[in-house]
Amino acid sequence: MTLRLPSVAQGKPLPEAVAQGKAPPEPREGATRAERGVGAPASERAGESGGAKPPGIVFDEVSKFYGEVLGVNRVTLNIPAGITSLVGPNGSGKTTLMNLMTGLIHPDHGSILMRGISPRNPEALMRITGYATQYDTAPRWATGFTFITTGLQLFGYGRADAEDRAWKALERVSLTEAANRKVAGYSKGMRQRVRLAQAIAHDPQLLVLDEPLNGLDPLVRAETIALFRAWANEGKHVVISSHVLQEVDLISDQVVLIANGMVIAEGSIRTVREEIHEHPSHYLIRCRDASAVASRLFGEEHITEIKLHDDRLGLLVMTRDREEFARALGRIAADGHRIDGVLPADENVDALYEYLIGGES
Amino acid sequence: MTPGVSRARQAWTIARIELRRAFLSKRGLWVYGLALLPAFAFTGHALDVTWQQQRLARRGLTDPVLMAGVQTGETLDAVTARLGPPAEDRASVRTERARGSGASATTTSVIEPAVEARFVRLNITRPAYDGSRAARIYEFEIYGPDGRQNLALGREATGSRPCNADQGPEKAVNGSVVGGPADRWCAEAWNAFLQVDLGAPRRVQRFVVHHASAGGEDPALDTRDFNIQVSSDGREFATVATSAGAALVERRTEYRNVTYFDGRQVARFSAVDGVVESRRISPVVDFTEDRMVFAGIFQYFYLRLAVFFGCLGMFMYLFSGEMTNRTLHYWFLAPARREVLLVGKYAAGLIASAVIFGGGALLAFAAMVAPQDAVEVQAYWDAGGRAHAFWYAAAAALGCLGYGSVFLALGVWLRRPIVPAAIILAWESVNGILPHALQKLSILYYLQSICPVPAPMDDEAPLLIRLLAAPAAPASRPMAILGLLMLTAVVLWFAGRAVRRMEISYGAEA
Repeated sequence: MTLRLPSVAQGKPLPEAVAQGKAPPEPREGATRAERGVGAPASERAGESGGAKPPGIVFDEVSKFYGEVLGVNRVTLNIPAGITSLVGPNGSGKTTLMNLMTGLIHPDHGSILMRGISPRNPEALMRITGYATQYDTAPRWATGFTFITTGLQLFGYGRADAEDRAWKALERVSLTEAANRKVAGYSKGMRQRVRLAQAIAHDPQLLVLDEPLNGLDPLVRAETIALFRAWANEGKHVVISSHVLQEVDLISDQVVLIANGMVIAEGSIRTVREEIHEHPSHYLIRCRDASAVASRLFGEEHITEIKLHDDRLGLLVMTRDREEFARALGRIAADGHRIDGVLPADENVDALYEYLIGGES
Repeated sequence: MTPGVSRARQAWTIARIELRRAFLSKRGLWVYGLALLPAFAFTGHALDVTWQQQRLARRGLTDPVLMAGVQTGETLDAVTARLGPPAEDRASVRTERARGSGASATTTSVIEPAVEARFVRLNITRPAYDGSRAARIYEFEIYGPDGRQNLALGREATGSRPCNADQGPEKAVNGSVVGGPADRWCAEAWNAFLQVDLGAPRRVQRFVVHHASAGGEDPALDTRDFNIQVSSDGREFATVATSAGAALVERRTEYRNVTYFDGRQVARFSAVDGVVESRRISPVVDFTEDRMVFAGIFQYFYLRLAVFFGCLGMFMYLFSGEMTNRTLHYWFLAPARREVLLVGKYAAGLIASAVIFGGGALLAFAAMVAPQDAVEVQAYWDAGGRAHAFWYAAAAALGCLGYGSVFLALGVWLRRPIVPAAIILAWESVNGILPHALQKLSILYYLQSICPVPAPMDDEAPLLIRLLAAPAAPASRPMAILGLLMLTAVVLWFAGRAVRRMEISYGAEA
């Protein structure tokens, strides 16, 4: 389990995280699920059914800038087969990572291998990869069916073969009824599904799906999730993105948390949650008798650091357990110490946490 | 299957998918308008010629020998008697009011017998024929019975207030008429008069007046009515001569244009007052001239503008247009090398544009030939006309090849094509005045060398136009084609490099 937090002051990964990230990833091996203590990973099941595990999705120190603006910064990842969720707020870099995986954009630094194939080689990579983007566009002329068969022609399938595959893909996303209507007339959810069908029609081993559950009604959503599970069990990579952690909580084998273009945590959903929870948080306590409050807090086991604020009317506190900290503050206040306010001092992580864990849902 | 073959197949698959859009996209329909514009123009010309021929032939055809026999100076009656009723007969009459005969720039009045006088007066009663109020006298001469000496010359002259300080009465007795308006006496007063003091009583008999036209002015300004008075004391005057100018008359001129037609040529005779003054015999359609017009339109409009902008629209769209429409990523997510994608898209654009513009050139050529005389056309076909048609179509298609590669490359590099397109248009336009080495870097240089007929250029056109339109020193045709292919290959190679590095960026992204 890797946990990387951006230090608020520097805006860079913590030194130890960087050191860890620099350890050269082993593409063949991947990060084993067993080490993380997560049960019944898809990759293991695939392993049971025979053959060696496929190499993972490997990012090595990948950075991408849009001019001066940072896209993603020094991302190192090793994603094994199974369902992986990229989770982060809007604008955090999920789509950038997915575009990097599929070669729609190229990294400024670092290297990427998708099951051992560079995204700069679309001829090989895209044969085993399907990417359903967030770009809500389709050619004007296309019906759902011709849209997919046209794409399949580029794979070299014959007419009958392409039509057969297109039909199966449309069946999988329950879109057969609208197959012969123009995509331009579809609803948002239907367009979402036709893009999904287009991405899976050639039966790829690597599926990259940008917010695939957006705009789906509950029934289709459940079917789609079942589909992902089935693919994962076949040993495929299913990479999906979401800005709501809860949405992908139960279905993911692993989660990659992203904020401001940096990977904050990756691993199973449970460990990610715990580690974010246990990570020391900074608070600013506003109070008149700062030194008295400080002496009370020194006694608390979860407090790791206390500093007097420059104006002597506040304390900068670092705690490992925010719930214990809240209880301790309650006790201190009950004893007659006047506390004017408590503000989270490292808002980025805190806000991100609230946001991801349920702030939005 | 070897990778080369499968890549070629893939490129062809891409081209097939793109072809439908290249030919039929609604936003691309204007390209057809550009391509067919010359064909429309020549079709209009052909229809016009046909209607004209039908109209002229309605009253029957005339023997060409008779037509050719008409000479200037003949009366029109003789012509119509010989040739029969004309196909067209247009007459117009112009009338104007003018001075009758007898008027002249200088008038002489003689009295009999001579009288003795010291003062002589010229009274202007009606100053001009055209109603102008100003009297204009360039010289007033007075002679005695011996008639040799101008008694008024240099004498003291007075009179009505002059129009201008330098046009006083003395100018009428200065012995000169050739100095322009400053050499005349001019007065605008009602009943203006000019009086000369001869210095002493003299015998006078002959009075000569030089009017406006004697000094070079319009004859309509000559004095119309005047009289001359004499006096010995300057107080009591006696009228000795009166001159009334010629009356105004209506002058009538009859103009007539008659046209005869022999089925091929049109003879136009213009007659003034019934006499043939000019004749012109010319074919209804002039094949040689029409071919030159075609060559001009082809080079100055078709290659430089229609093919240029048509390719701009069609080839720019292949990448930058799809970027704008947010559909380019579908292509980039296909299992194909980016170069294969580039070649496939280029092939689609090339096939569509070559068919549209090559076909447009052939249609225009056919429309140009259609109304021509069959015999002339046959002679033209036999003398290399077919090759001309072929090379016009080939030049248009090769233009698509060259411009297409340039705009495809630009579309890969840039999203907004307007400014670079303007720069390229300017570059292609100044092509003729560039040093030879630089000329080879323009598409037009090669296309001009491929065209079968050099573009016509009027020697009287302004220098700048001639420079801009001047064809570059033409290369031989095989070299031109080779050069164009090489230039295209180089541009495509750069485009291939660029497309490998190309990234999807649709603007704001989540």
